[in-house]
Amino acid sequence: MQLLDIRNLTIELRTEDGVIRAVDKVNLSLKEGEVHALVGESGSGKSLIAKAIVGVLNSRWTVTADRMHWQGVDLMRLSPEKRRKIVSRDMAMIYQEPSRSLDPTAKIFEQVAESLPDDTFKKGFFRRNTERKEKVKALLHKVGIREHIRVASSYPHELSEGVCQKVMIAMAIARNPKLLIADEPTTALESTTRAQIFRLLKSLNQLKNMSVLMISHELEEITHWSHAMHVLYCGQMVEAGPTQKVFYEPLHPYTQALVKSLPDYAQGLAHKEPFYALKGTIPPLQHLPIGCRLGPRCPQAQKQCVVTPNQSKSHGHAYACHFPLIKEKSKCNPS
Amino acid sequence: MLFEYLLRRISLLVFMVFTLTVFTFSLNYLFPGDLLTNFSGQVNSNYSQTQILAQKYHINENLLMQYGAFLVRIASGDWGVSLSSGQSVFEHVSRLFPATLELCVYALGVAVLLGIPAGIVASAYHRRWPDRVINSLTLMGFSIPIFWLALLLIMVFCLSFGLFPMSGRIGLLYEIEPISNFILIDIAIQGFPYHGLAFFDALRHLALPTVVLAMYPTTVLVRFTRDSMLHVLEQNYIKTARAKGLNRRQLILHHALRNALLPVIKQIGLQFSTLITLAMVTEVIFSWPGIGRWLIDSIYQRDYPAIQGGLLAVSMFVILANMLAEFSHSLFDPLSRNQAYGKV
Repeated sequence: MQLLDIRNLTIELRTEDGVIRAVDKVNLSLKEGEVHALVGESGSGKSLIAKAIVGVLNSRWTVTADRMHWQGVDLMRLSPEKRRKIVSRDMAMIYQEPSRSLDPTAKIFEQVAESLPDDTFKKGFFRRNTERKEKVKALLHKVGIREHIRVASSYPHELSEGVCQKVMIAMAIARNPKLLIADEPTTALESTTRAQIFRLLKSLNQLKNMSVLMISHELEEITHWSHAMHVLYCGQMVEAGPTQKVFYEPLHPYTQALVKSLPDYAQGLAHKEPFYALKGTIPPLQHLPIGCRLGPRCPQAQKQCVVTPNQSKSHGHAYACHFPLIKEKSKCNPS
Repeated sequence: MLFEYLLRRISLLVFMVFTLTVFTFSLNYLFPGDLLTNFSGQVNSNYSQTQILAQKYHINENLLMQYGAFLVRIASGDWGVSLSSGQSVFEHVSRLFPATLELCVYALGVAVLLGIPAGIVASAYHRRWPDRVINSLTLMGFSIPIFWLALLLIMVFCLSFGLFPMSGRIGLLYEIEPISNFILIDIAIQGFPYHGLAFFDALRHLALPTVVLAMYPTTVLVRFTRDSMLHVLEQNYIKTARAKGLNRRQLILHHALRNALLPVIKQIGLQFSTLITLAMVTEVIFSWPGIGRWLIDSIYQRDYPAIQGGLLAVSMFVILANMLAEFSHSLFDPLSRNQAYGKV
């Protein structure tokens, strides 16, 4: 059963100079208990997709999709109120700037307690307060905060980013969501905290069978434990498929470039050795090229690339390219 | 921690009061006319009286001694006598100031009660008709000069319909013993036979000046609350709270309002100085026996001791009001509570 099934998700921004298509026909599907990674440079529309799924985009953006099914229910066709209820019951999201995602004037305890759903309380009305305290304490322990008393009675600005992110995760898992969307959860964190957060998310996935949609720059970190990977470039899905395949046998020139650009520390780097990178820069949203958006930067580009390539799929490995990097299979007995 | 903050605030207050008193003191020298007359308000005093006054005001000693004596007099309530009425300035101020204060407090109360909810409604219905209506109304209220508005209201409600009295604080029928000098309180605590009628009459006298005076702060508060709410509703933590599953009402009540009203509290304090200035205009138009009208009269009459006293009282009050707003702001705002240094 598909948990989340999105087809042709398009997100547009209406401006004075016409409509900008920030996300162009993206497909995404996710099974229960899977970890998917959404990879791409900044500005490629990863966060927009996440926000569109949760439904917290501004009214400036128009979201259209052929279907956006959540466990068989089309979210696009629901009323905002119903959609909010489903989303808040089953999904949770954590953001890249945890300290700015917490209300600066409320104590951590209030904010965590607020995310506890009402039906979790079993005891009577009068003992609810102690029960709430217990639950908040348990949640904070679960995400690895030991000094729960101090943290619970602090304001967000009194805590470090790492602790704030843990609090965010605690709030996210309070409702036992089926899907956790993590929007670059580790960008503002130090490397030790970063490792802790990754471990935490991994254990949540393995122990609670929670699906995770991970939006991240940390290509290497994410390849170790994600089941599938989606690579975005300028709002177009260039390649998607099982992580190992996408990472080790990329079919799209962009994915290849992305993998190549990772410095290989095992081989050792020469002094001031240049990193591999595609020529040129990401085009601004107002000046997106037609056709394949990678076109002008693509090493393999040809005349056909001014037409948007269709997605082709083989063995669950989808790519959108006219000239994929398929190795010619050597035939057994060449005649 | 809060105590330290309070301490820092108070030390700042001391400095502000110091500069204020230095300025007021120097006015005695800057005003034209005899120094002793400026100080004391005594005119045409004979030789022996002059000797006594010079002794009292330490005229023949250095400036520091004079300033010290000035401070002592200010503190003990001896602010000289008014040139025009010959009565003590301090008594004038303490009798007239509550009238102004009463007007200002009611106007501010109206502004807060109307302006903040209107601002919240406007932001909750951003770019829909309630927002448009409120916005255009505030723009109109914002741009009407209040003296003109006052005259219009007098023309319509007093002269055409005769609904409200035109001037004064209370009808001549009622004689109210000034105790606290706040007329509504005075009527309530005196318990005289017709106090219900008197109270109603006082309210009728208050209505128009309050409306006129409240116009400006209300519009400012509406706009400020609206902008502040819109700003807060864009913040990330609101998105988080929304993703948490709170509905719009909970979102606004629990998260947006508290964050959005913090700058508004500050703004209320800042409005006080404008309010006092506008109160002076209103008082002149409605013949309200407040300090503003008295101060303006004193300026016309070149009544130097009165000008000094009035300025000192008004500016002292504005400083205190600002301080109070600042303090209550930091009482509610956890971020500014542990600031290392106080701000002006």
